[in-house]
Amino acid sequence: MKLWSSFKKELILASRGFYFYVELGFAIVLMLVVLLAIPENFRTRTVEYLHLDLPSQGQELFIDALLEEDPGSSPETVELETGGNIYEARLIQTEEQEIYLLDSEEAVRELADSERNPGIVVTLDSQNRLFYRYYLQGYESARLKNLLSIVFNESSEVLQQRLEQQEVRALTTGFEPLSDRENTLPPIVAFSGSLMGMFVMAAYIFLDKKEGVIEAYAVTSSSIGIYILSKVFVLLLTTLISGLIIIMPVMGFTINYGLVILLLLATGFFASVVGLLVASFHDNMTKAFGVIYLLFFILMVPGIAYFIPGWDPFWVRLIPTYPILQAFREIILPAGDISYPLYTSAGFLAAGAALFVLTDIRFKRTLRV
Amino acid sequence: MIKVKGLYHSYLRNNDYAVRDVNFEVGEGEIFGFLGPSGAGKSTTQGILTGLLQLQKGDVTVAGYDIKKLKRKMFNRIGMSFEQSNVYSKMTARENLNFYRRLFDVETRDPDELLDLVGLKGKENIRTEEFSKGMKHRLTFARSMINNPTMWFLDEPTTGLDPAIAAVIKDIIKDRNREGVTVFLTTHNMFIAEELCDRVAFIVDGVIKLIDSPRNLRLQYGEKLVEVEYSHNGQVKKDCLSTIIDKDKDKLEKIIRENEIITMHTKEANLEQIFIKVTGRGLA
Repeated sequence: MKLWSSFKKELILASRGFYFYVELGFAIVLMLVVLLAIPENFRTRTVEYLHLDLPSQGQELFIDALLEEDPGSSPETVELETGGNIYEARLIQTEEQEIYLLDSEEAVRELADSERNPGIVVTLDSQNRLFYRYYLQGYESARLKNLLSIVFNESSEVLQQRLEQQEVRALTTGFEPLSDRENTLPPIVAFSGSLMGMFVMAAYIFLDKKEGVIEAYAVTSSSIGIYILSKVFVLLLTTLISGLIIIMPVMGFTINYGLVILLLLATGFFASVVGLLVASFHDNMTKAFGVIYLLFFILMVPGIAYFIPGWDPFWVRLIPTYPILQAFREIILPAGDISYPLYTSAGFLAAGAALFVLTDIRFKRTLRV
Repeated sequence: MIKVKGLYHSYLRNNDYAVRDVNFEVGEGEIFGFLGPSGAGKSTTQGILTGLLQLQKGDVTVAGYDIKKLKRKMFNRIGMSFEQSNVYSKMTARENLNFYRRLFDVETRDPDELLDLVGLKGKENIRTEEFSKGMKHRLTFARSMINNPTMWFLDEPTTGLDPAIAAVIKDIIKDRNREGVTVFLTTHNMFIAEELCDRVAFIVDGVIKLIDSPRNLRLQYGEKLVEVEYSHNGQVKKDCLSTIIDKDKDKLEKIIRENEIITMHTKEANLEQIFIKVTGRGLA
């Protein structure tokens, strides 16, 4: 009864306050960004400037070979401006490349220099073999340069033969990758949904401290545990709503929402209790800002590891947001591992409960901080 | 109702005590005034008695409960009105009281009745962020009665209120006391203490200097003189005469018999003057 009454009071306060709408508004903005600004898949077409210093028949054969990658398309005439000069070019667009065919090597060099894209000049050598001259930018890796040397110096028959001899064995099957849009969801949900709770919870406590209502609560026969638990429940509700606002429009009904809700609640519980604990050491948001900022910074580091799979040091895996991100990814992966989010949720619930006990003790001792 | 023995408290948990060797008892149905200037240790003592501050050293019993082993059910019998108004500004006056009444395990009072009592009738549905300082103070005072406390802690209950409202608050305190409620009144306002308290304690620098009833203090520390202003042969004259010395008593009698008295006052000391005399300190 006391818990329900406190929860209802917190809901009234949240609905008449600022932070509740900030959290939901932030979730709506992020949902719109994910849907409208992030493409289903990022297309990373490379741009190349090409001059074919070949006889006209050779040029036609070369262009036909390029167009074979995208049947039905035809070169489009465009104008490129650089350094006050305007160059006419024929643009050939394939799945992975935008190739500008230019009439002179000078134009290729100038555009490669100003636009920071590779330029290629194709000529014939003394034995009437195709000869490629690359204008690179200087930052290309030795691996890329070696690859270009091999591609243009080995005969295509030999390369083809070697490729055919390679045996590719799949260690796991039935694996479907996420689209780029889907792949951005775990960090967005983790940071806006769960971690935002930490900041908002601290803000709620500081508002109560400013109004002195914690002291008034402390001289009632209701426990401080009920007071902080009612705040946690409100935070869990907003975490759930904001998380679902972002996830549902992107994923539809293709994922297990039971797991989503469980993970949002578990991680939201943990984050809000951390917010409570931080708030118990300080008088106001200004004094707590340094600690909250530092925590945010540390907790965001796994987000970098998430987008750079090659960078995954052991210490990053110890930061709580690391398993949150992985667990969200497992949930939205078509053939994800269900046990991972379950274990993660259990871990965060247990850690949150332990911190809750600590926070309860802190609040009992520091009502007049 | 309250027993305090050998109470010490240090905010820094060292030998720099905010209150030192404080001892007193408050009987059931008594109004006990705790008087002293700012920083004297009044709020610290009250904080310990109400469980807001942890008891470090000493023995404290409130309403039969040992503060060392604080139990939540003790607060069913306790009411606390804070000096600084502390109500939820985003909630209406009625919502505030309705919320707090559900935090007790005992029968509570009707919020509308309490709001009426403190002069906030008609303001029930207004958010307290729109209230004046005085209105918030009255709401905080009303809230302290929501659980029908038998032990009532009042911290500067009339501070910032206009005289008419302050009089209403004082009447409520007197009425509740007549019903048997014990009151622990913390204030630096000697006039309200003099008017309401059965006994007062003077506290300065964390040490209780004196405990007695205002009447006894006045008798002990007041001067036994009468100042009389009278008209004699068309001229206004003044005299200050002892009420103990026979010669002065005779003279006073003669003045009253033979002249027209304009004003006459006994020179009793008020609590503030006694406080200064006893502690050597003012109340500012």
